[in-house]
Amino acid sequence: MEKAILLESVSKKYDVGSSSLEVIKDLTFDVNENEFVCIVGPSGCGKTTLLRIISGLEPPSSGRVLVFGRPPDPKRQRFGVIFQEDSLLPWRTVLGNVEFGLEIQDQKEAEREKIAKTFLELVGLQGFENYYPHQISGGMKKRVAIARALAIDPDLILMDEPFADLDAQTRSFMQRELLNIWSKLNKTVLFITHNVEEAVFLAQRVVVLTKRPSKVKQIINIDLPYPRARLSPPFISYRERILTAFHEELEVT
Amino acid sequence: MRKLYLRMRSLLLASTSVIIFFILWELAALYLPSPYFPDPYSVLKAFITIITVGDIDGYTLAWHTLMSLERVLLGFVVGSATGVPIGILLGIKPTLKNAVTPIIEPIRFIPPIAWIPLSIVLLIGMYRYIFLIWVGVFFPVLLDTIAGVKRTSITLIQMARTFGADNKKIITKIIFPGSLPEIMNGLRVGLGVGWMCIVAAEMIGGEPVGLGRLILKYANLLQIDTVIVGMITIGLVGLAMNYFILFLEKRLFRWRVEIKA
Ligand SMILES: Nc1ncnc2c1ncn2[C@@H]1O[C@H](COP(=O)(O)OP(=O)(O)OP(=O)(O)O)[C@@H](O)[C@H]1O
Ligand SMILES: [Mg+2]
Repeated sequence: MEKAILLESVSKKYDVGSSSLEVIKDLTFDVNENEFVCIVGPSGCGKTTLLRIISGLEPPSSGRVLVFGRPPDPKRQRFGVIFQEDSLLPWRTVLGNVEFGLEIQDQKEAEREKIAKTFLELVGLQGFENYYPHQISGGMKKRVAIARALAIDPDLILMDEPFADLDAQTRSFMQRELLNIWSKLNKTVLFITHNVEEAVFLAQRVVVLTKRPSKVKQIINIDLPYPRARLSPPFISYRERILTAFHEELEVT
Repeated sequence: MRKLYLRMRSLLLASTSVIIFFILWELAALYLPSPYFPDPYSVLKAFITIITVGDIDGYTLAWHTLMSLERVLLGFVVGSATGVPIGILLGIKPTLKNAVTPIIEPIRFIPPIAWIPLSIVLLIGMYRYIFLIWVGVFFPVLLDTIAGVKRTSITLIQMARTFGADNKKIITKIIFPGSLPEIMNGLRVGLGVGWMCIVAAEMIGGEPVGLGRLILKYANLLQIDTVIVGMITIGLVGLAMNYFILFLEKRLFRWRVEIKA
């Protein structure tokens, strides 16, 4: 089967002033179609950079990146990217924001509204269509961004710590919702987090990155059926395994 | 209740200062040695004459105002139609902006009056007015548009790119709407400055109508009361235009938290 994402010895350097910063070094892994993969790694190790490379926003300095067999190009492929920072258009209502991707892809207006409303319902935001971003909570904003990304029927969903600033309850609610959506829509998801428990709860495979310059430290298959019980012994043992690998990266300097 | 009280108080304060202003003016008229300095009452009389009868050529105040408004609005339209697109272009192309800054910056400080001789030599009729008003409108609009474009969030642009947006869509759907608050501010300031250029613009051009003309006509006749009528009208119309755009801004930018607060 064709790989959804294929990364082969990808490196990325940034030139900052006169010196250069090596963020990613010789990174190799792949993601299968319809797979749910989580990436965990210490802060500043290059997870967001990696996501920008996979979504075609930036080229790698060297190495090969293929998304469904071709170099990533958002003009020809459909990516649903959920950014780490707030990425809603403040001058558009919630509905207008969810319609944005469809609008860029020249979907007809009547269709657009119908689709947008369906996805707003999916993320539980019916009734908030006419609110502006500054009138809704942080968690609601993230859900709007998720609805916007899903509305274009993406081939690939890329999420950058989408639930990082949610409170514990909303976070676990959103995690369950995301798994529901994923099993319903049959999508490939690459999900970045630095919360190990979240990764074990969501992913079929967890990719642990080293600290900067980052490469793959370990890839762990989570062989647990969904929905997963966070307090079950196998869950905890997966969590401990990944935490150990993760903490090694935090401690070494 | 408290709101009403505060409103009444500020209204009272405002009218008190207006009354004090007129008393000071009256006193100044009494004690200043110049026979040409009119008191408020003779200005009021001149006002009524110009409104009802018209000036020495028979043009009423409404007519003068309309003609000036037409000229300023034309210049304003040309000023915005050039200032906004050029501002967006310079905002998204920093190299180009750096290249033209040494040309634009000094020109910006040349007052409209200094352009009069050149515009007499080079332009005719309405084009002169439009050009001189344009000089006033263009720069505030340009600078605020550039500032607005620069404030555009990179995350929003990247977000649009991941949906496959090309440069045209990024400009029309992200950069332009995102800069609209600054652009509107530039338009407001530009309209005000353009309006203030009206006297300079009307110093030339043979036509006898316009508020600037009215002032110059009566200045030559040494009838300062009517000159002041022209000045006050310019001030009040400018004020009205400013409030009109502020009102539009409030309605347009309800999504802005700053304006709501
Ligand atoms: N455009 C850029 N120019 C220069 N350096 C950059 C740029 N973008 C990122 N970096 C650097 O690359 C490193 C990795 O950044 P990145 O945002 O990918 O980290 P991250 O793993 O997503 O971190 P976090 O978990 O805190 O979000 C950082 O040290 C950052 O300073
Ligand atoms: Mg990041």
